Amino acid sequence: MSMPGPHSEYSTTSTQSSRSSERGYPLLFFYLRSSWGYRLLAALLVCALSGAFYIWYSQSGYDTTPDSWAGLGYATFGTIFLILAAVLYSIRRRLRKRAIGQLNASLHWHVLLAIVGLIVLFMHAFGHFAMISGTFALYSMVALTISGFVGRILDHVMPRLIAREVDKVLTMQGDDGVESTSQKLRAVVVHNTQENRGIIVSQSQAPIPMPGSLPFTTNGQSLGASWDLAYISLEPTQQELDQNAPHYRFIPDKKSALNRPGALMPGAEEHLSALQDMQLAMRREQFFRYIIRYWRVLHILLAFITIGLVTWHIIFASTILWPRFFH
Amino acid sequence: MKSTLLHKTAPQVAQEIHACIGCNECLLACPALAETISIDVLNRETLSGAISTPVARFARSCYQCGACVAPCPVGLHRDAMIMWIKVRLMRSERGG
Repeated sequence: MSMPGPHSEYSTTSTQSSRSSERGYPLLFFYLRSSWGYRLLAALLVCALSGAFYIWYSQSGYDTTPDSWAGLGYATFGTIFLILAAVLYSIRRRLRKRAIGQLNASLHWHVLLAIVGLIVLFMHAFGHFAMISGTFALYSMVALTISGFVGRILDHVMPRLIAREVDKVLTMQGDDGVESTSQKLRAVVVHNTQENRGIIVSQSQAPIPMPGSLPFTTNGQSLGASWDLAYISLEPTQQELDQNAPHYRFIPDKKSALNRPGALMPGAEEHLSALQDMQLAMRREQFFRYIIRYWRVLHILLAFITIGLVTWHIIFASTILWPRFFH
Repeated sequence: MKSTLLHKTAPQVAQEIHACIGCNECLLACPALAETISIDVLNRETLSGAISTPVARFARSCYQCGACVAPCPVGLHRDAMIMWIKVRLMRSERGG
């Protein structure tokens, strides 16, 4: 198995990525596979047959109530579809023996069976929504289906939004952008602090010397070639002595350019701003991940509520229908 | 409450790919994967190089549900690896 080493090129700007056969990550995309098409066709066929029977039955003058034989037939089939939608996917997820792509197929069946079940159960109502338990059960099914639809949309949109935020936080080489920017910021702060204190900074941190300047520095400033060192006193000035005093506070004049934020630390502002942007991006990433996770929790919660309401409705309807069957 | 794992950096993803034993458990547990993909190809194309059409489709379809994490016998985060492919696809869109 050939894989890139830990120090290999991660950069997407490399020439390797230019050979990529696939590019881009659109917000909305849809891959229609033939197997998905067959499943959709099967679901549409069931809906069409149920609908055709509904129209024929309604126009034939038969009893069009939820507890008529046709209504009970719709109720039975609708409940079976919903049970299959809930159970098949849950079982498939827990099965140890499965092939690649089977779970995806089960997810498609889960979606299609739930929609077909809901449509068939609407037909079971025959437009009668007076029975409180049945109406509640139907409304909860509608809420469950809508939450499933919204969940599928979120599944498409949220990962892309997460990827956009991750893109902001990672460097082009894929390293941690926060760490990289923090290091740059630290280098700027160390460099400026040393410069302010008059320490000769290392060659790597020091600014490029101007042509003709000497390597001597005092208070961070290069001395020109014309300066005679004999005229410079090595004794600390009163200002330098004050700086070392514990009560010393440097307060620039209000109109001074030094009063601008970041004026004393040139170059630090942009890094600080970049760090804040990255922190915001990470918070957004976490938020989007929470949406994905908790929308699933909401969907499962609605599923349990629906199961409860459907069970209540079946028990309630049974108490009415049972005496009728026995007489 | 279980904390949400954020993204991983490319060196971390590279380490995870090196630790992958190729058992396919992550792919078997994935509800977003619709077509057969070899784990070797997926590992090879994750960090660099050309991204083939099946891998790109899979990466775009992945919804970061984390179903691939629990079955992994060595505790790797396939979702974080796929996130890196998503970022690469997104950057390639910008001509990067």
